[in-house]
Amino acid sequence: MKQESWLMPYATAHIWRFVLIAVLGILTVLFAGALMFTSGYLISKSALRPENILMVYVPVVGVRTFGIGRAVIHYVERLVGHDTILRILSQMRLRLYNLLEPQALRLSSRYRTGDLLGVLAEDIERLQDVYIRTVFPAVTALVMYGGIVAALGAFDPGFAVLIGLYVCLLVFVLPLISLLLTKRKNRAIKQQRSALYRKLTDAVLGLNEWFVSGRQEQFLRGYEEDEAEVDRTDRQLKRWARWRGLIAQGVVALTVISVLYWTGQRHGEGMLDVTLIAAFVLAVFPLMDAFLPLSDAVEKIPHYEESLARLRAIEAGNARGGLAGAAYDRESVENRNRSGMQHAAKLDLAKNARFLSDAGAGVHILVRDVSYRYEKESLSALATAEEEGLERETRYAVRGLSMDIPPGSKVAVIGRSGAGKSTLLKLLQGVISPSAGSVTLDGSPADHYGDGMASFISVLNQSPHLFDTTLENNIRLGRHDATAEEVDEAVRLARLGPLVQSLPAGLKTRMQEAGQRFSGGERQRVALARILLQNTPVVILDEPTVGLDPKTERDLLSTIFSSLHGRTLIWVTHHLVGIEQMDEIVFMDEGEITMRGTHAELLQRSSRYRRLYQLDRPGVM
Amino acid sequence: MGKELLGYKGAKPVFLLVALCTVAQSLAIILQAKWLAEVISALFSGSSPYQQAGEIGWFLLAFLARHVISMLQQRLAQRFAEETGSDLRQRLLAALFQRGPAAVRTEGTGNVVTLVLDGIGKFRKYAELVIPRMLGVGITPILVWLYVFATDRISGLILLVTMPILIAFLILVGLAARKQTEKQLGSYRVLSNHFVDSLRGLETLKYLGQSAGHSRSIKQVSEGYRKATMRTLRVAFLSSFSLDFFTMLSVATVAVNLGLRLINGSLELLPALTVLVLAPEYFLPVRMLGADFHATLDGRQAGLAMQSMIREAEAESGATPLPDTKQPAAGEQKRPPQAQGPQRYAIGNANGGSSGLPRKAGKGPAAPPIGKSFAWETDSLLRLTGIGKRYEDGGRASLEGIDLQIRGRRKVGIVGESGAGKSTLIDLLGGFVQASEGTISLDGVPMSDADRRAWREQITYMPQHPYLFSCSLEDNVKFYAPDASRAEVVQAVETAGLSKLVASLPQGLDEHIGGGGRALSGGQAQRVALARALLGNRPVLLLDEPTAHLDIETEYELKETMLPLFRDKWVFLATHRLHWMPHMDYIIVLDAGRVAETGTHGELMARRGVYYQLITSQMEGVL
Repeated sequence: MKQESWLMPYATAHIWRFVLIAVLGILTVLFAGALMFTSGYLISKSALRPENILMVYVPVVGVRTFGIGRAVIHYVERLVGHDTILRILSQMRLRLYNLLEPQALRLSSRYRTGDLLGVLAEDIERLQDVYIRTVFPAVTALVMYGGIVAALGAFDPGFAVLIGLYVCLLVFVLPLISLLLTKRKNRAIKQQRSALYRKLTDAVLGLNEWFVSGRQEQFLRGYEEDEAEVDRTDRQLKRWARWRGLIAQGVVALTVISVLYWTGQRHGEGMLDVTLIAAFVLAVFPLMDAFLPLSDAVEKIPHYEESLARLRAIEAGNARGGLAGAAYDRESVENRNRSGMQHAAKLDLAKNARFLSDAGAGVHILVRDVSYRYEKESLSALATAEEEGLERETRYAVRGLSMDIPPGSKVAVIGRSGAGKSTLLKLLQGVISPSAGSVTLDGSPADHYGDGMASFISVLNQSPHLFDTTLENNIRLGRHDATAEEVDEAVRLARLGPLVQSLPAGLKTRMQEAGQRFSGGERQRVALARILLQNTPVVILDEPTVGLDPKTERDLLSTIFSSLHGRTLIWVTHHLVGIEQMDEIVFMDEGEITMRGTHAELLQRSSRYRRLYQLDRPGVM
Repeated sequence: MGKELLGYKGAKPVFLLVALCTVAQSLAIILQAKWLAEVISALFSGSSPYQQAGEIGWFLLAFLARHVISMLQQRLAQRFAEETGSDLRQRLLAALFQRGPAAVRTEGTGNVVTLVLDGIGKFRKYAELVIPRMLGVGITPILVWLYVFATDRISGLILLVTMPILIAFLILVGLAARKQTEKQLGSYRVLSNHFVDSLRGLETLKYLGQSAGHSRSIKQVSEGYRKATMRTLRVAFLSSFSLDFFTMLSVATVAVNLGLRLINGSLELLPALTVLVLAPEYFLPVRMLGADFHATLDGRQAGLAMQSMIREAEAESGATPLPDTKQPAAGEQKRPPQAQGPQRYAIGNANGGSSGLPRKAGKGPAAPPIGKSFAWETDSLLRLTGIGKRYEDGGRASLEGIDLQIRGRRKVGIVGESGAGKSTLIDLLGGFVQASEGTISLDGVPMSDADRRAWREQITYMPQHPYLFSCSLEDNVKFYAPDASRAEVVQAVETAGLSKLVASLPQGLDEHIGGGGRALSGGQAQRVALARALLGNRPVLLLDEPTAHLDIETEYELKETMLPLFRDKWVFLATHRLHWMPHMDYIIVLDAGRVAETGTHGELMARRGVYYQLITSQMEGVL
């Protein structure tokens, strides 16, 4: 079953640790039982008033050993358990990353927002409970069960069967009933909770509207009704948990009484030494403790299902290879999952390519009569039922597009949302392959470059991610082996100098600590410095100034244009500020180019262009 | 720990009942031990188990009584936790929806939602556990010890000495663990965030060509995280280790000591057995508290965080105190209604305490007792006197000394550099935030704290990113006017220029939009907000940078749609996009929180002041 693929491999990979944890878990229970057993034996034996105190020397030592041993073993068990889990988490994280990495640019924008990725990261964390809360206690209980029945069987097979039945109630019957009774409710409560989560998030995000509408009570009333519904289910679950606890204790009582009768009777028949009566009876309590948490452990199973399902979906999406992706990607996914070696080799290739391209004059990009239509959403496995409505229509995203971008030229692309701008960029980066026509960089198809593309094209988009590390490390992401001078030069060109000087820790300032101090414009400059280090012949600017005020917008554009002088620029823009600097301006609508030319040509030729241009030049009116 | 819980409604009776249960339970524990010891010692001296049926019955009874009482006690605590949690949530939500966007802006949407949902869960767990655990520690060991002491003095002394040692160690280990955690708190946070950070930045890494190599860094950091965690856990687990260790050690000591005295003949088997059975019970409550202590800590934190948010909301909304912990919402109904006045009543509605979620179907403006009605007539006079706003005491003023008079239905443009105070002015005009000083009045009627709500109900607000609720397009459009007919919706949709979109949607007006539904572009979202505003038909329209983020073609079209709709309204439009200004009747130019100049586009251009500077700077080319 696929579901196991997120749990089983790790158990087998760490089998000896798992065995150790199980052994330690069992020893913990055994020692607790042995403590009471020996204590009972000790005082019974003492009550017989043996001649010599040495007669009870062994139980005396035993009592102390078991007492201290139990505490020590339990401590070690917990440490080994957590260490193992953390090792597994490391591996799971790596696996998830390797699954997501190849599809990073194809995840539809909804998934890329980071929220879903955050959820996946949490899912991994949640899986640690599978082992700690469910697997380990269950293994301990089962082994103990077998051991106790076998040990009793050596004394008295009949009685072993009886105790076997009692414990069976705790180990199998009660957990099973519990699972059957609560499974649906647990699932319901989970669904209701996530519905509440959505509802509340929706309301809080739209708080302004509720606030202005004066309809707050209406929302609050509805919300409280839903909460009450969840509370009702929750109350039922808790009531069952209380009853279950009582039933389990009833079984314990039954066991104690049975042991009382059995020991008494056996003693009466002369089959059991008198000193063992107290020993057996007292040992029952700590031993039964091993079985009590099992119902709870089993009941937790539905909690993991959702996380597992999501992780499985990611994997399934990948196995299908991303329908939009080329065969190349599927191969690389598998390669990466198998070994990091080939992977590193590929990276080296990419590096060589970079230095070659540095030497050359740049890249000639040719887009010839390209059309592209989206297949059904390639990652629909990630989509839940409610997102079904999102399937892309299968119309053409771009159609009959031709562009000739010689090295060092500057092209601006303008269009409404949905005009096909992002599809064009993806085609240029080789993330998707054209349905018809060709996109080539220096004569080679763009989609053949794979990860090497980062040596040719860099991207400055609307919200470049700045990692939670130092300013310098963020900049160095452009090229790890950059010298200090190169970093300083990039900082200077991105005009970050004054900002860096104003920070007490300079380039060593952590992004998070600086917190709000970095404005939108500054963040873009950090990303720009990064791209300067990356030093590619082609730079894609994907609306880098959205959300900036006009002054910042102008300053940033001026920095971008001067620092990237001589590179090929492909600039998707929403405003016409700075448009005069471009060699060609392309207007796109519904996947086609509707208007193109230089600024001067368009200004002269198109009244529509003039009207738009005036929006950025309010004084002209 | 736990003291503040007593302040919650109904806490004291629960506390008493749980205490009563704990006493009864302790007695059951003692009796259970006594009878079990009697049975065993009788069997020891050769009696048949069948002769002991009576004692065994008593033992069973005591044992079951103990667990039934425990069940009742859990039920009591759970009900209390549930009610207290619900109550807290209701007050928090009421405060949130009353204080409005300002609260969310300071706390962040994610934090607020997490606090309300997860926070309440954690708080409930805390409220459920803390009373029984505290009372358990306070009552059971004492009663058990008294019985042990009465049975056997020496064992009693051993147990008595062990307890302080155990607690001292617990505190020492706790301190060490905290020190250890604090020492690596910074690096700890970075390590634990690294993975999420990496996933969020995956796209950027890919663009930089670093994504493939980054898996090595993930592995390294994960391992580093594991090592750091283990270092902390080694110390943290010591606390439960010391609990275990001392409990087990002292049970062993008691057992050995009993054995030796039995050999001496200075003790009988029965008291020895009784003490042996009771010894673990003496420590059990402390161990349970130790096990649950950390689990409940964050619940307590969540409770305190919510309390402080409610208090802040009270402070912000000034005139309308929310019921505090000692005065539950139900109490509010008992106050004489005339003392509250009509406005208080209105906000009491929003408040919706446990008993009193409001009775009417909240149809906004039509509700009669809402206080003064602010009528924005064609010739009304809006006056701002000495308005100032500071978000933090002693912090920089976002606005200062604003004196303005605007007469008659006007289209007002608000411009200025970033940080000049444009958005703050819009927020003040909308009644979303409270001015730190000065008053806003309409036709001489001041907007006081109490009737900000009535003020707001005259207003439509269009932010840069209007929020689309996760529901049908029609319900989104009807948000201000839930009773509007289909025909009215269709009309509004058409006027807002959405007809083409609606026609392209498979479900038309019933198409699910917003979160989890069809994604709309920025321009389409603005048009939905526009349709919403049209249907709401309120006299005042506040716009905060409605088009700056849109592509220029969409911006142009949206402007063409919007301008005619401004005609019969009071419009306040704050923007960087100065092309709107020639269409405004009156322009307020803000500079560093003060009014720099006012007038029409023509007047201000002629004046060659701040406005002229803004315009000309945008006329220059880049570079």
